[in-house]
Amino acid sequence: MPKVDITIEVCGMSGDGTIAAGGLLNAAMSEAGFSVLAFDSYPAEIRGFGRCVTRSRIGNEEMLALAEKTHVLISLDDEQSRSRIPFLEKGAAVIFDNKPPSYVGEGHAIPAHVEPDINLFGIPFSDLAAEASGSTRGRNLTALGGFAVIFGLPPEIFRHVIQKKFAPKGEKVLQANLMSFDAGYNFAMTAFEDRLLKILTPPETEEKTEKLLLSGNVAIAQGALDANLKLYFGYPITPATPILEYLAKALPEKGGKVLQMEDEISSIGAVLGCYYAGQRAMTATSGPGFALMTELITHGIMAEIPAVIIDAQRGGPATGLPTKTEQSDLHAAVFGGPGDSPRIVIAPTNVTECYEYTVKSFQLAEKYQTPVIVLTDFFLDNRVENVPMPQASKEALKDGNIYPDPSAKGPYNRFELTESGISPRAVPGMEDFMFTTTGLEHSESGGPNYTPENHMQFSEKRHRKIQGALEDLSIPKEFSKGGSLDVGVISWGSTFGSALEAVQKEQEKGLKVGALKITSLFPFHDEIIRGFMERCGEVLIPELNFQGQLANLIGHLHRKDVVRINQATGKPIPASIILEKIEEVLKA
Amino acid sequence: MSEEHFVVIGNGPAGNQAAQTLKEKAPEARVTLISKEREGYYKPCLLPEYMAGKISEDQIYLSTVDAYKEKGIKLRSGQEVVDVKPRRREIVLDHKEVLRFDGLILAVGGRPRIPEPLLVFRDLMMTLKTLEDAKTWIEKISRVDRVLIIGGDLTSLAVTKALIALGKEVYFMLDENAFWPLRCNDDMFQDVSDRLSKRGVKTFYNCKLNSMAQRSEHAVEVRVGDDIFEAGLIGAFFGLVPNVGFLARSGLPLDRGLLVNETLNTGFEGIYATGDCAQVFHPEIRDYWVSIGHDNAKALGRTAALNLLGERRPVDVATESLFDVQGIKVNTSWWMEF
Ligand SMILES: Cc1cc2nc3c(=O)[nH]c(=O)nc-3n(C[C@H](O)[C@H](O)[C@H](O)COP(=O)(O)OP(=O)(O)OC[C@H]3O[C@@H](n4cnc5c(N)ncnc54)[C@H](O)[C@@H]3O)c2cc1C
Repeated sequence: MPKVDITIEVCGMSGDGTIAAGGLLNAAMSEAGFSVLAFDSYPAEIRGFGRCVTRSRIGNEEMLALAEKTHVLISLDDEQSRSRIPFLEKGAAVIFDNKPPSYVGEGHAIPAHVEPDINLFGIPFSDLAAEASGSTRGRNLTALGGFAVIFGLPPEIFRHVIQKKFAPKGEKVLQANLMSFDAGYNFAMTAFEDRLLKILTPPETEEKTEKLLLSGNVAIAQGALDANLKLYFGYPITPATPILEYLAKALPEKGGKVLQMEDEISSIGAVLGCYYAGQRAMTATSGPGFALMTELITHGIMAEIPAVIIDAQRGGPATGLPTKTEQSDLHAAVFGGPGDSPRIVIAPTNVTECYEYTVKSFQLAEKYQTPVIVLTDFFLDNRVENVPMPQASKEALKDGNIYPDPSAKGPYNRFELTESGISPRAVPGMEDFMFTTTGLEHSESGGPNYTPENHMQFSEKRHRKIQGALEDLSIPKEFSKGGSLDVGVISWGSTFGSALEAVQKEQEKGLKVGALKITSLFPFHDEIIRGFMERCGEVLIPELNFQGQLANLIGHLHRKDVVRINQATGKPIPASIILEKIEEVLKA
Repeated sequence: MSEEHFVVIGNGPAGNQAAQTLKEKAPEARVTLISKEREGYYKPCLLPEYMAGKISEDQIYLSTVDAYKEKGIKLRSGQEVVDVKPRRREIVLDHKEVLRFDGLILAVGGRPRIPEPLLVFRDLMMTLKTLEDAKTWIEKISRVDRVLIIGGDLTSLAVTKALIALGKEVYFMLDENAFWPLRCNDDMFQDVSDRLSKRGVKTFYNCKLNSMAQRSEHAVEVRVGDDIFEAGLIGAFFGLVPNVGFLARSGLPLDRGLLVNETLNTGFEGIYATGDCAQVFHPEIRDYWVSIGHDNAKALGRTAALNLLGERRPVDVATESLFDVQGIKVNTSWWMEF
């Protein structure tokens, strides 16, 4: 099968069924055996109107990032879709409703605005849906019917995903949707008989691995469930809310509990309390909520209590850009809060890692008795990828706590100074292991102690312990043939996919360019990073923030200034921008 | 939006020339050029050669879609006008969009003519008017050995040449209704028939088409006079007639084509018709004439644009160059040798 790499958008007003259509499209493409990377955007304000856009990149190779240009635009509302025209690739297909309920003036219809090379496919969505099912509601399905024919996808695949989605809503709803889909399919089959593009016909013989469509947020929630999370405490905030919603349904079914707290301070307080008592607990928030949590996070650091905190970053500071993406909480995650407060900060780069890193965060929190911050961002949380069902190994699910030896005699020093900095941790209820816990600086027994030597000693213990975690943290992964490189791109979080795509394009051209993925942000593997940098002529660090927060964190490891690509637009960084910068640096 | 909006319907030589002239002479005005075909401006005369594989698709184009942008003309391709409301100065597109205009030039050209007695066989016959038609021919032609051409207009001769070049066996049924846009008489028929025969084409002349029936996917059984044979494809070539059916309810004056005075005006202020779709009044003979041919269309397109911008240029056609075809006065710039 020839290489497929196309981006499909569905655009409409909220209420048009845009997101539903995009979801069905992704499910169908996944079922057809394609890789899918999809990202929806919707208005920031919670009200009944606004533009909704789903964007799906479909291909027969792994999709690392969103593409900049769109090849197919399914317009459920032409006025809204106008804003998407600048993103259309030359010769793109636009599928639109060519029989709106009433005549529209010039400028309101998408054909008025597109370039002449655009392939227009007018389908009377509303009329066909109304005729088929008695209501225009299914017009989004009619549009999908047209799409399926034009691009050569078997209708059974769509019917199957429609069945899956609507069967729970009853036979009537299901039939109405199936009929609306068929109406679009049959119409387009004859209307565009000689114009069918058929570039997505799935190969019949290829074996397909069972794949699941997962968003970053669902992967996190599922990871926590599989890791035997007991209690989830949270307060709704975009983009972390879907984790709360998913767990609210799923966790009680597994015997756990979800509590919506009055705010983020109480959420982190409850997580610490729960983990203090020995049960796995987690919270998820975004920048503004994370800011509220910082004081108690440092309490967890001082009192050496595990906690798992997901910080789903969005545009900031303050309330910022609630529905836009950004990687600007890195400084806050690594350094936020009073005092010298080392903690573990990790950041997945794709949906599968969202699952894996969440599972892992519990063991890390337990073993190193510290809050672990998992940094994601709006784009990673809400993007959908089809991935083989992630599964945590038994090893990964093990209790990470290091308990005191129950047969030990004598007084129990909860904060015993050890070589690793890890002091075996008793949980309440363990007989003969009573201890004092406090946010004050303390001695080995846990009692307050402010002497200069003690504070120095314990500050060092806490740092030693966290640095020791490096042996359990994923090491930076290099994507190159090794040896000296003209340009090395170091990246983290959701931006990494774009960085790798750009680097791979340069590598295909035979250029000496490599990528380094960093997922452990604190502590980080400075020797490995430095080793990579030493082999690079120039080091580029693209990230979604204005200051270059990762560059600030690791830039000093390079012998000269790193080249920063800082994008604070609220939008994922496209591979092309990184590619351009690589070329610019190579030319210089 | 206060600037003037000129709309041209049709991206053939007439419409294309009209739009370019409008933009050239009135650069401040907004010019929209609408065409139901999705391709840019191409030369229909080259379609037979394209069919024969002698030239590539790129060589047919006179102007790519990008060129319009550079010139400041908004090209809307693949969009069909379904109605014109001259009094309200609006046009309606197939997708129900309504466009207002200050000036309008209709240059919608012609469509293949099929004489009444043959209409029953329409689905069995192919025509050649657009690039898309040519692509359909190319797709089908590779699967057949024999092609029957019915009619006898200039396109049919060009297509026959192309088919011979492709190594196809050609049967040709000369039809007395066919020689549009040429005057036809017995001598001429005989001459064409002889020339075709010399090139190995089996011709039928003065014979009656009795029936056609699809026998298999690639074979139609044809009965002409006493002959029965199978043809893989059948092409009908009876010239073009103005393509004005969609204007039936518009209130614009229609006969065979869009009736216009010698300045190409339809009788409605600011609304002109030009090229193959127009039927132009000739004050001297006090009758209307139609134009056929690429060069004519271009010249008429320019005249319509200049007149829309305020000139009152009559189209100058010498009476000697008008000839009669089935009661219609024709002026053609088309010539070819076979
Ligand atoms: C196969 C072939 C070979 C030919 N060979 C020669 C030759 O050798 N020499 C010669 O001089 N002439 C030749 N001609 C004739 C010549 O091409 C025509 O006379 C000339 O193209 C007429 O120009 P026009 O602009 O008036 O119309 P056309 O070229 O027919 O253009 C009409 C335009 O209007 C558009 N249109 C029609 N209806 C609508 C609608 N409702 N909405 C939107 N758009 C619409 C069409 O898409 C098209 O763009 C040939 C024609 C054909 C078909």
